[in-house]
Amino acid sequence: MTATASLVKPILQVQELKKYFPIRTGVLSRVSGHVKAVDGVSFDIRPGETFALVGESGCGKSTTGRTILRLTGANGGTVYYNGEDVLAATGDRMRHLRKAMQIVFQDPYSALNPRMTVGSAISEILHVHGIASGNQARDRVEELLVRCGLEAYHSWRYPHEFSGGQRQRVVIARALALDPQFIVADEPISALDVSIQSQIINLLEELQDAYQLTYLFISHDLSVVRHMADRVGVMYLGKLVEVADKKEFYRKPLHPYSQALLSAIPVSDPSIKKKRIILQGDVPSPANPPPGCPFHTRCPYVMDVCRNVVPELKTNPAGHQAACHLVNPVS
Amino acid sequence: MQADDRDSVAATLHPPAADAAAATALTPRKKTSELHEVFRHLLRNRAAVVGLIIIGGFVFVSVFAPLFSTHDPLRTNLGNRLQPPNREHLLGTDELGRDLFSRMLYGGRISLNIGVISVLIGVLVGVPIGAISGYFGGKLDILTQRFIDIMIAFPGILLAIVVVTVLGVGVENVMIATGVASIPIYARLVRGSVLAIKEQSYVAAAHAAGLGHLRIIFRQILPNCLAPIIVQSTFQIATSILWAAGLGFLGLGAQAPTPEWGAILSNGRAYIRTAHHLTTYPGLAILLMVLGFNLVGDGLRDALDPKTR
Repeated sequence: MTATASLVKPILQVQELKKYFPIRTGVLSRVSGHVKAVDGVSFDIRPGETFALVGESGCGKSTTGRTILRLTGANGGTVYYNGEDVLAATGDRMRHLRKAMQIVFQDPYSALNPRMTVGSAISEILHVHGIASGNQARDRVEELLVRCGLEAYHSWRYPHEFSGGQRQRVVIARALALDPQFIVADEPISALDVSIQSQIINLLEELQDAYQLTYLFISHDLSVVRHMADRVGVMYLGKLVEVADKKEFYRKPLHPYSQALLSAIPVSDPSIKKKRIILQGDVPSPANPPPGCPFHTRCPYVMDVCRNVVPELKTNPAGHQAACHLVNPVS
Repeated sequence: MQADDRDSVAATLHPPAADAAAATALTPRKKTSELHEVFRHLLRNRAAVVGLIIIGGFVFVSVFAPLFSTHDPLRTNLGNRLQPPNREHLLGTDELGRDLFSRMLYGGRISLNIGVISVLIGVLVGVPIGAISGYFGGKLDILTQRFIDIMIAFPGILLAIVVVTVLGVGVENVMIATGVASIPIYARLVRGSVLAIKEQSYVAAAHAAGLGHLRIIFRQILPNCLAPIIVQSTFQIATSILWAAGLGFLGLGAQAPTPEWGAILSNGRAYIRTAHHLTTYPGLAILLMVLGFNLVGDGLRDALDPKTR
C-alpha cells in the first residue's frame, strides 16, 4: 500500500492542528495556563482507509477527532476535507461538510437523546438537510436501522429500551443517515461488553465495504486496531509520535513509546514468553509538558538531546514516520 | 444486556415468535400521538388522577360560582358579623357579615387565574432566558446572569411590589408582577440544567449532524430539563397565590371588596382568636389547590419521561 497509496490524494489532511483548553484560576477566573490537548498534530487519511489513532487516556486523541469535526474550536492549524478548508467553512459550505463527515461516540448511553424515539431522532436529521420527510423519511430510517442489524419497528422505541450494543447500532445508523464518506469513530467499542465489541467491529467493517467509508478510528485497544486499521498513528501528550502502515507498525515499531504499548497487548497463549517494557512514572501534565521530547521523562533510552530538543516527525524511506532522536539522530 | 443483544442479533437473522409479539405490542405506539400517550399515562397514575379531580373541582366551582353561591359575596350585614359556620352561612361570615362560602367561590376564580397565569409568564420568559444563557455561555451568559442576580437580590414579594407600583394596582397587574418575580427562579433553574445537558454526546451529535442552535435548544436540550421545570411550577403556583395575598394585604392587589383567597386570609388574621374560620377555610382551600397541582405535576413529570412510562 505504502508506495502507491501515497500518490492517492488524501480525503482528509490535518496540518499542525492545535487545541488548547484554558486553565482558569482565582476569583476573577484569569487564564493561568493552557492544557495542550492537541499540540501540532499533522496526518493525512486516504479515501477508503481506516486510520487508527491510539494512545492512553488524556493524550488528546478524542479531542483531535472532535476538533476535526469542529465540535470544539481549534486554536491553530488546518483541516482539509477533499481540498476544502473545514475550519474556515461557514453557512452552506459547512452544512455540506457536516453531511460528509460524521461521528460515532464512545458511550452509546449518552449519545442518544432519552426523550426522542430513535426514529424521530434520525428523521429530524433527514428533515433538517431536506433529504426526506414524512413517509419517505420513515422508510429511510427503517432502512438504516435494518442495515445496522436492527429491526424496522425499533424506530418507535426510546433509547432506554435498547441494550448497549443495540444503542451503538442506532448511533451508527444515525451517523450513516446523511450518507457520509468520512466517519470519526471515537472509541466506538470501549463502553461495550467484550462479547458485543466484535459485532460492532464487524458492522463497521461491513459498512465500510458497502459504502466505501473512510474511518478515523480512535482507540486504546491495540488488538482491535490491529484488526481494523490500515494505518496507525500513536499520540502521546497531544503530539503524534509515530505514524505507520499497520503491518509495519506491528512488525517493527520505531518509537520507544509504541514499543512499550505493543508489549502490553495481552497474549491469549500464556506459554508464549514475551518481553514486557514497563514504563516508569505517569504521563506528565499536559498543562506543563516537559521540554524537549514529551516522552523523555519515561523513555528507557533517554539521551541528553531528548531533554532539550523537540524531535520532529520524520518519514523514513519505507514511509514510516516517527518523532524520536534515536530514529532520526540530530546532526 | 449481553443476552439481550445476542437475542436481537439472532432476531435479525431468524425473527423468533417473541420478537414478532413485541412488534405487534409496539405497533399501537405509532398510531397514538405523543400527547395522547402522555395523557394515557397520566390517567393510569392514581395520585395524578386525584390531583386532576381536585383541580377540576376548583375550576368547576369557580366557573359556575353563581350557581353554587348562597349569598351575594359583596353584600355586607353588620348585624351578622363573624358568625361561625352554621346552616345559613356554610362557612360562617367575615368581619363585615359577608358570607365566607360565597366569597371563597368567587375568590377561587381570581386565585386560580393568578396562580396559573403568573406561572405561565415565569415559564415563558424565564425558561428561554435561562436556556439561551446557559447554552451560548460566554459574555452573554455573564451579562444575563448578573441581571438575574439583581432580580434575585430582591425578595420575590418585593420585586412584585416594585412591578405593581410601576404598572398600577389591580388583579391583572398582580398576575404580571408575580409572574415577573418568578422569572429569575426559572432562568437560574433552567440555566443549570442546560449547562449539564449541553455536555451530553447527543448534543454534540446534533451539532455534527448540522442541526441549528435553536433546534438543538428546543428539541434536544429543553425536553430534558422538563422535570425540574414542572416541579418548580407546581410550587410556584402556590407561592404566586401567597404573593398575591401579600400584595392584597398591602393594598396593592385585589381591591377591598373583591374576594380573593389571599386577601380573605390576610384580613381574617386579625380575628384568628375569635373567628378562626376566616383563616382556616381559605388556608385549606389554598392547601388543597396546591396539593392538586403538586400531584398533577408529579404525574406529568413521570408521564413525560419515556423512561418511567
